[in-house]
Amino acid sequence: MNFLVRQISRTSDGREIIRAYPHDVREIIVGREASCEIHLTDLAVEMRHARLTVQANGKLEIAALAGLGFEVDGRYTSQAIIDPAGGAEMRFGGHLLVISEEDSVVVITVERIEVLSDSTKERDEIGLFTLRGVLPSRRIMAWTLSVIVLLALLVLPIYTFYNYQNSEKRPAAFHADSLWSSGSLSSPHAGLGMNCQSCHTEAFVAVRDSSCVSCHDDAHEHADPKRLKLAKAPLDWDGKISRKIADSFNRPEGRCVECHNEHEGAGPMEDTKQQFCSSCHTDMNKRLTDTKIANAGDFGTAHPQFKPTVITANGSPPKRERISLDQKPVENSGLKFPHNLHLSQTNGVARMAGRLGKPFDFGEALECKDCHVKTPDGVGFKPIDMEQNCSQCHNLGLEKIGNTVRTLRHGDPKMVVADLRAFYRSGGPYSVRTQQSMEGRRRPGDYARSQPYYAYFGSVNYSRADSAIRAVFSKGGACYDCHTVIAPPAGSDNWQVQKVYQTSRYMTKGWFDHDAHDTETCSSCHAAKQSGSASELLLPGIKTCRTCHGGEASNADVPSSCAMCHSFHADEGAPWVPKYNMARKRDLSKTGVENGKAP
Amino acid sequence: MDRQAAQSGRVQSDGTHEGFLRHANFRWLKIATMISLLAIVSYLIIDVQPRHNGGSWYGYTLGSIGVLMILWLSLLGIRKRRMSRGHWSLKAWTSAHAYLGLSLIVIGTLHTGFQLGWNVHTLAYVLMMIVILSGIWGISVYATVPKIMSANRDQTTEAQMLASLRSIDRQLHDAAQPLDQNHAELVSGSLDQDPFGGGIIRRMTNRYPACQTIAAHEKIMLFTESAPRTRDDPLEKVASLLGRKRAILARTRKHLQLKAMLEIWLHFHVPLTFALIAALIAHIVSVFFYW
Repeated sequence: MNFLVRQISRTSDGREIIRAYPHDVREIIVGREASCEIHLTDLAVEMRHARLTVQANGKLEIAALAGLGFEVDGRYTSQAIIDPAGGAEMRFGGHLLVISEEDSVVVITVERIEVLSDSTKERDEIGLFTLRGVLPSRRIMAWTLSVIVLLALLVLPIYTFYNYQNSEKRPAAFHADSLWSSGSLSSPHAGLGMNCQSCHTEAFVAVRDSSCVSCHDDAHEHADPKRLKLAKAPLDWDGKISRKIADSFNRPEGRCVECHNEHEGAGPMEDTKQQFCSSCHTDMNKRLTDTKIANAGDFGTAHPQFKPTVITANGSPPKRERISLDQKPVENSGLKFPHNLHLSQTNGVARMAGRLGKPFDFGEALECKDCHVKTPDGVGFKPIDMEQNCSQCHNLGLEKIGNTVRTLRHGDPKMVVADLRAFYRSGGPYSVRTQQSMEGRRRPGDYARSQPYYAYFGSVNYSRADSAIRAVFSKGGACYDCHTVIAPPAGSDNWQVQKVYQTSRYMTKGWFDHDAHDTETCSSCHAAKQSGSASELLLPGIKTCRTCHGGEASNADVPSSCAMCHSFHADEGAPWVPKYNMARKRDLSKTGVENGKAP
Repeated sequence: MDRQAAQSGRVQSDGTHEGFLRHANFRWLKIATMISLLAIVSYLIIDVQPRHNGGSWYGYTLGSIGVLMILWLSLLGIRKRRMSRGHWSLKAWTSAHAYLGLSLIVIGTLHTGFQLGWNVHTLAYVLMMIVILSGIWGISVYATVPKIMSANRDQTTEAQMLASLRSIDRQLHDAAQPLDQNHAELVSGSLDQDPFGGGIIRRMTNRYPACQTIAAHEKIMLFTESAPRTRDDPLEKVASLLGRKRAILARTRKHLQLKAMLEIWLHFHVPLTFALIAALIAHIVSVFFYW
């Protein structure tokens, strides 16, 4: 006997059954074929897989018979010689063959070590019929996601905040606390960029005014804080509740940010809503009984008539008072000026303007712009200046020497007197010939034909300077026509002219921008063509404004909140209103269509 | 007596099943609709300046209601593990969970004031919406898939599916013994492969392009179809066994797909709920931190 084959199989409860088959031959075959001495029911084994031969020296030679090899002690090969006495392990497909030697007989123990098929493996059936096997468990996913979210959106931003809390400016890079920003900063604050700590100086402390004032050092109170407190309307029940809640969350009252909301998106900052003003001003006199400020709640429906500041009495400085336009205030500027005469289309003024024409940019008749020149910002008009705006026609020429016209000095009566005396001393008595040489221009209107226009009015045959001086300052004379002349006592020639005061801004509590109204003509608001006296105030009343402007929530062409004209932190400048908004509103009123761009 | 009545209450039923959606004549649908309408109307009436946003008193109110609702809704996971009956039976609770969860779409959206951006606040909102949408998906799957699944199973249980697979594998193994090596390898490939492996995509799409059983069946069929039919050709037997295995696999795989559909929405719904709660913590802390 040369071979003893022991086949080990297992019962379903795992018990081993060993069957032994002796073979008294020198060589045996391993294969799937039933005739093989070592018959392996294994599809990974060839029908006749290998031959095992006992050599003369007692060694065992194993040689593969077909394409597939086998493993000897873990090494894949197609031929091997082993010493059975030393023992060895061979693998054919899923079977293990253990070689040993007992009493000079080669013993081969055969055992299946791999399962028959995948499905016969022990399988976690619950695992198969749920998603456990193919997805991470819900618990793991839940924890992983939660930790990622908390790290990225809570821990990292807090770290960033404390890292830069006291630094002026953060380096340009991504900063995790920007993930907390509920919206972009407005364009004026865009420069703050990612420097959250500029405003959010301390954790869990609502933004304080100190942050705002650190840049806006010129911001000031709206009014005396004590009076402000008095003026406030008492809170209703829900206001009280929200105040209590705000207090308990450490949000003090009256902070800048209550009106100036941030993180509302890029673009101009939101303008302050009417409600922030009207909550106090609608019925403020009830609480602030001594206030001089009239109640106002809505421009369209609850706003007092305008009270321009007018000059009520001359003097230096003159007396100025705020008088309601309803009371038809009279302005005492010291000037005589009939607008209607100057704006006529047909009279002598018009004809003179037409004649002077191009060099002065006049048309067929005078227009407002010929005398009133806008300030560079377009908001108002420059004060009327005699030399700039009147002297084209109202020339104070005295005589012509060569091509130069010598003029009397405007604004200096003493010099006028002195000049006239000097003139008469050198050239006088005045001759007709001189006079005629000076008739370059004639005074317009009733005086044009028979009277010379220049400084000499009335009879030309003044033989003495005294008469000429009196004539200049008296009715019909150059000064008298426009100015209030204060005559000297008899025997003195201390003639005086009342100083003229012009008001550059009548509405001192509000703001009016002429440039914003360039869609209108002057006459649509100012009834200058009908005005015969400079004392008439040509300001339009609130009714005129209301043809276009209404309250914030109105259907008017231009819904207007208080902030359009009034400033909370009032100063000399324009109230703060986003430029875009104003331009947009203007476009709306002009075309009725929003085109989103300032013209 | 009382005890008896209580016990009989359990068995007294008209025999028809009332799903959680129809519970108590749609009580929670009505409540949720009322809540949503109330939120919409108050949103329109209350004039928040300069515009609605989460940071107004109204926004905080909606936010507080929303976060309390989310926390309560997420308690279903705990509640469902403890059965009870009556008003707060699990069915009532689930009904409320579904409908109140839907009303969160309104409350959450109004809380945002329609101001969304790339930030923690919108992340919380988006996560909430995904959780709600996955819930809707889950309900619709529960409403449709069981019928299909039942039809596909055709009275067999999951254990039976696997048992028949094992049986066919054993028969295949035996039947393939006389085959030549090329064919034996094909069968071996079918036996050794995990027919359900390949991950979630295979499972959900029910597409197994690398299936060895199908490949083996088709290749062996090529031989058997062209060869003359003999009475006991082992290849014929193997081919027929492989065909049966294919049918069993198809049914089981379809079953797995349907089961996965019943389950996968929860893999979004539950983990994202936890992510949502984390995002809500970050959202709320951040609001008070940068107050």
